[in-house]
Amino acid sequence: MRRPLIGMTAYAQQVQYGSNDLMAGMLPMTYVRAVHATGGRAVLITPDDPDIDVLESLDGIVFSGGGDVDPAFWGAEPHPATDVDAVRDASEMLLMRAALELDLPLLGVCRGMQLMAVAGGGTLHQHLPELIGTERHQAAAGTDPLAADASAYGRHDVVVAPDSRAHELVGSHLVVNSFHHQAVDEPGKFTAVGWCPDDRVVEIIESSQHTFAFGVQWHPERTSDLRLFAALVEAATERSGLRRPAYAG
Amino acid sequence: MRPIIGITSYVVPATWGVWHDLPTALIPNDYVAAVEQAGGRAVIIPPDDRDPDVLRVLDGLLLAGGPDVEPARYGAAPEPLTESRPERDAGEFLLVQRALATDLPILGVCRGMQVLAVAAGGSLHQHLPDVLGHERHRPAPGVYGEQEARFQPGSMIAKLMGDDVAIHCYHHQGVAEAGTLTVTGYTEDGLAEAIEDQDRRFVLGVQWHPEVIRDHRLFGALVEAAG
Repeated sequence: MRRPLIGMTAYAQQVQYGSNDLMAGMLPMTYVRAVHATGGRAVLITPDDPDIDVLESLDGIVFSGGGDVDPAFWGAEPHPATDVDAVRDASEMLLMRAALELDLPLLGVCRGMQLMAVAGGGTLHQHLPELIGTERHQAAAGTDPLAADASAYGRHDVVVAPDSRAHELVGSHLVVNSFHHQAVDEPGKFTAVGWCPDDRVVEIIESSQHTFAFGVQWHPERTSDLRLFAALVEAATERSGLRRPAYAG
Repeated sequence: MRPIIGITSYVVPATWGVWHDLPTALIPNDYVAAVEQAGGRAVIIPPDDRDPDVLRVLDGLLLAGGPDVEPARYGAAPEPLTESRPERDAGEFLLVQRALATDLPILGVCRGMQVLAVAAGGSLHQHLPDVLGHERHRPAPGVYGEQEARFQPGSMIAKLMGDDVAIHCYHHQGVAEAGTLTVTGYTEDGLAEAIEDQDRRFVLGVQWHPEVIRDHRLFGALVEAAG
């Protein structure tokens, strides 16, 4: 029996590896491993030549982290700290709207959550430190804020609304990593159901209109807590009438 | 709907923006662009050795360049300059064997041609300068060797390439034996530059890098066979 196929939006990015310095379609392996560990099969969807035809082949989709969403999507002027990739935005916004329309099981991670909110008619805060007066949400790149020896910087609590669907998946409280300088302001047609208790920054959005559509502001793929990926893979399995995957986490 | 072409990927420690040496699945954008300019929809296939089930949604398979094939796969001991990635091999050989069995269109580029040859029962030269006595297939780090190929008249590759036989090579290994495949292209030193399976719809391996010129002759043929 085949595994559910989970598309993951990829970056097109100038990248260095070995002696190479070139433009590549790419995604950190943490995302791929999170899908494979929970019983799915990951493929990367490149942002070039935007079209939604690839969605017909997928059983679920992950909108991955990355740069800022263009504020023009919600009618705002760009903040000086806002850094936009217009090609990726155009491609992913098309995919996001179509995936929601198709009710494809969907998980938005960090930028992916922000994109989901904007696609739902919502808005973003463009630079959190100006709003909350702290860089609590911006861990240093390459660090693991959840490691035992890490500083509190880039790690914080999330409280989850008791009556939400997210509560069924992750419970009432968790500790997360944090690598973002923007955040959801208005979630549009989605519902904010998780927050950082220190500053009320939105950390989880969900949809009551879709079979499975969640956005989270942290990076679960960089942790050992893969419950959201497992739930996505399960939703994709059920949608496509496949056998339940063995949880290999 | 465009034919979906799965491209096998590298996994390397990559650096971009503020991130350093993060294990990353990636493929040079030239491959993606070559597929899309030829009318296909590219998806990148990170290695996974559990099951080739992803082939169900693919109309064609593009085996990209990359590190050396583990010599144990063709019954040889590794030589000093051989650098292989068994994890990538494990995933790609599963894909190739199933794709060959189901007659899925396949284009192998550089390492991809070598994977095809080994999957078909062939073997590789592990370091060409030791065999050929020159470095024209990889003149220097990051420099393509510009060569001319000779193609077997009547072969698929001869028909696709036509009169323009200039190729861009960058490899230190090469196909020694092509197994059940047929060698249909050579450089003047006698090295195999193209292999094909004349019993299947479209199985072609080329030792050079057609993606750097987004060569519509080859990628167009893959997408057409996949369509």
